[in-house]
Amino acid sequence: MSVAASPAAGRENTSPGRPPALELRGIGKAFDGRPALADAQFSLAWGEVHAIVGENGAGKSTLMNVAAGVYAADEGEQTIDGAAASPRSPMEATAAGLGMVHQHFRLVDSFTVAENVLLSLGRRGAVRTIAQAGAAIIAKAREIGLPVDPSRVVADLSTAERQRAEIVRVLLLGARILVLDEPTAVLTEDEAKALLSFVRRLAGQGHAVVLITHKYREVAGFCDRVTIMRHGRTVLAGAAVSGLDEAEVARLMVGEALPAGSRPLSSAGPVVLAVAGLSVEARPHGQGLAGIGFDLRAGEVLGLAGVGGNGQEELVSCLTGLVLPQSGAILLAGRDVTTVPPRERRRAGLRVIPSDRFDSGLIRDFAIADNLALSRVADGAFGALLFLRRGRMRQTAAEAIDAFDIRGATPTVRTGLLSGGNAQKVLLARELDAGMTVLVAHSPSRGLDMKATQFVRTAIRRAVEAGAACLLISEDLPEVLALSHRVAVMNRGAIAGCRDIADVTPEWIGALLAGHA
Amino acid sequence: MLDAAFLVRRQAPGLLLSGLCYAGGLAFGLAVSAVLLVQAGVPAAALVDEFLIATFLTSDGLAQTVTAALPLVLVGLASAVAMRVRFWNIGVEGQLWLGAVASTWIGLGGTGPDALRLPAMLLLSAAIGAAWIAIPLVLKLRFGVSEVISTLLLGSVAFLLVQHLLFGVWRDPATGFPVTAAFLEAARFPSLGWGQLHGGLFVVGIVAVLVWFMLGHTRAGFYADAVGLNPKAARAAGLPATATVVGLVLLSGALSGLAGMTIVAGTEHRLNQSVGSGYLFSAIVIAYLAGARPFWVVVVALALGAVFTAGSVLKVFYGISEGMIVLVQGTVLISILMAQFFGTYSLSRPGRGEAS
Repeated sequence: MSVAASPAAGRENTSPGRPPALELRGIGKAFDGRPALADAQFSLAWGEVHAIVGENGAGKSTLMNVAAGVYAADEGEQTIDGAAASPRSPMEATAAGLGMVHQHFRLVDSFTVAENVLLSLGRRGAVRTIAQAGAAIIAKAREIGLPVDPSRVVADLSTAERQRAEIVRVLLLGARILVLDEPTAVLTEDEAKALLSFVRRLAGQGHAVVLITHKYREVAGFCDRVTIMRHGRTVLAGAAVSGLDEAEVARLMVGEALPAGSRPLSSAGPVVLAVAGLSVEARPHGQGLAGIGFDLRAGEVLGLAGVGGNGQEELVSCLTGLVLPQSGAILLAGRDVTTVPPRERRRAGLRVIPSDRFDSGLIRDFAIADNLALSRVADGAFGALLFLRRGRMRQTAAEAIDAFDIRGATPTVRTGLLSGGNAQKVLLARELDAGMTVLVAHSPSRGLDMKATQFVRTAIRRAVEAGAACLLISEDLPEVLALSHRVAVMNRGAIAGCRDIADVTPEWIGALLAGHA
Repeated sequence: MLDAAFLVRRQAPGLLLSGLCYAGGLAFGLAVSAVLLVQAGVPAAALVDEFLIATFLTSDGLAQTVTAALPLVLVGLASAVAMRVRFWNIGVEGQLWLGAVASTWIGLGGTGPDALRLPAMLLLSAAIGAAWIAIPLVLKLRFGVSEVISTLLLGSVAFLLVQHLLFGVWRDPATGFPVTAAFLEAARFPSLGWGQLHGGLFVVGIVAVLVWFMLGHTRAGFYADAVGLNPKAARAAGLPATATVVGLVLLSGALSGLAGMTIVAGTEHRLNQSVGSGYLFSAIVIAYLAGARPFWVVVVALALGAVFTAGSVLKVFYGISEGMIVLVQGTVLISILMAQFFGTYSLSRPGRGEAS
């Protein structure tokens, strides 16, 4: 492994006299006025594997997407191999020598690997036929020691094979700097090891590699230097991995901003939601549930922290009743509801705020009044028998719009036209009704601005103070810490650990998030 | 490098824009159709005569238009209710054929007293239409079989069954042609004394009002929209999603079956090999142009009835072929659909810094 000794060494590089492979200075980027990056720094030397670590939403992927021309930075400078660069498209970035492999591969499923490569090359240069593309792929694959079969259709490939095809494609396009966005998240243990060994070899051949990851193990085992990001800023720029230990990395990732005020349980209420040994088979490219279990008491918020894709979506689907588990049990107020349909769970007091509000929460093309009434029409709240009293629906909606201060809304406005925060308020107005006893909230403030976030948190706090129970599933650690009475960490479809908020330390959370029990 | 322009979905297409697009598409389609017809030998001056005056402004023409529109309203509604729950009923014709077969069985003197003959035909044709669509419905819900394929193929099966009957037990004993004998008097809708118009008008009127009321003012209609627009959210909110789909799809089949009954009991008074042909295409056209809304289904069905009437006039007096009439319908439809595209999307060129 290479020998960069201190953060200052980030400005140097391993091949003396050669400018850094990639340098980013003072990068700022905001989405809809919300800053995602602020004054972010990054410097990559030729011949190294450089890890970027940080929590979800820390800006790792955004920073690399800026470098790769997916997003345009609002401010800051970029050089690639010493030359000023500001790629306006991934194509331009690759032409300048930087290629990124995203978490979601950019391959056409119905094409073969060779056809995909030919598609990207766009019939320029020497490669003009599928046969030539195939030959080029085989040659490149042999050169870098990565097995890829150009004649296979992408749809038939395993995830690992797709990833290898994508890497070879990017390298064939001329990339000498390879950015891998959480490449091991979708791989098995062995596949991950093989990929990381390959990455080391590639660096040994003089390429430069950026590895975006959550896992300390990968940083310690395969990377030369590490850059740590938090809230869109670089908190540690290019420090040698050898000089850091896991606790230090965890602390820098999570920050000092831990428990904002202690929240002792107001009262140890009865268990209202008990989940035991819940297992769901993993879908392709997904994570299942592996015997997850926990208790949720009335009057408390149980925060489930965890890196996205560790079974959170599956857990919410299972609790909602959209997916039936292979084994395990869900008890709602003592009653076994493991296999009952969503409607009966709602009657028993369960309410859900899904992470994607327009996926299983709201209907985009419905009027606001219709969305607000959605779960109550079946109970006869808007007309007995089969009739529907639209007038009463609109009136009820107008009251909810006032009560929740939903801006830009009248009962007949299409819900899809609202801003994210106001659409979320529609969902809250429906779910936080008088009948709620258990609230499952998955990333309830994702994509919302400060004010709307505050609104959501206050609404949850009030509901819990009034005696409801809340399971808060979130990849946003500050949110979990701000609301929870107890914190559990989810990893690979199970609970990796659980503590009272008073006992939560950055080291503990950081280690569990990074996959260490 | 290709300089890409992106299609951007309009957030809230205004009524004016939608109206203009619709009218523009219609005008363009009619203009192209006019050119086609003139090319085929219809004098330009006769077009206005035949299309506008003969179909809407003369008593006989109007009666003929309304008569032709009756089954069109039913198949249009059939297509529309299924569309609401995103079930693509491409087997409207099959259900219609079976409805016609059921009606014929009673109409030719099957069991029962005369007074109950028409009501029995109504009920049985609806029931058998629903039963016929139940097959693809079960296949879809149980095994995930695409209804586009299964309903379409079952349509052909239904037509083969009709041929089997017409060339077999139901062949007209008097002539030997593959048509049935004429229905009993009690199995025909009474004439209203205005052209060919018959008592089926009341049946279709009542059915249309019921469907309109159901979709707009009952829980079933609300569920249907929710399930059609976002089945996952509908289920999560506790709606009976599967029951809703089952109910509306069976209704779709029943309406198609009823259309078959309306044709044989209203105008043909016998079953032959052509009573059901062309209705599949018309049903989809009507439901699509009407946006699956019952009121507009009736309006579009009347317009299409006029086209049929004008078409038959053109066929008889100017020797225009059946294919030409279908071509004209297709031209108008495609024009309106393309125009709707511009009402739904706008073109934009990507500027710098437009992320996510």
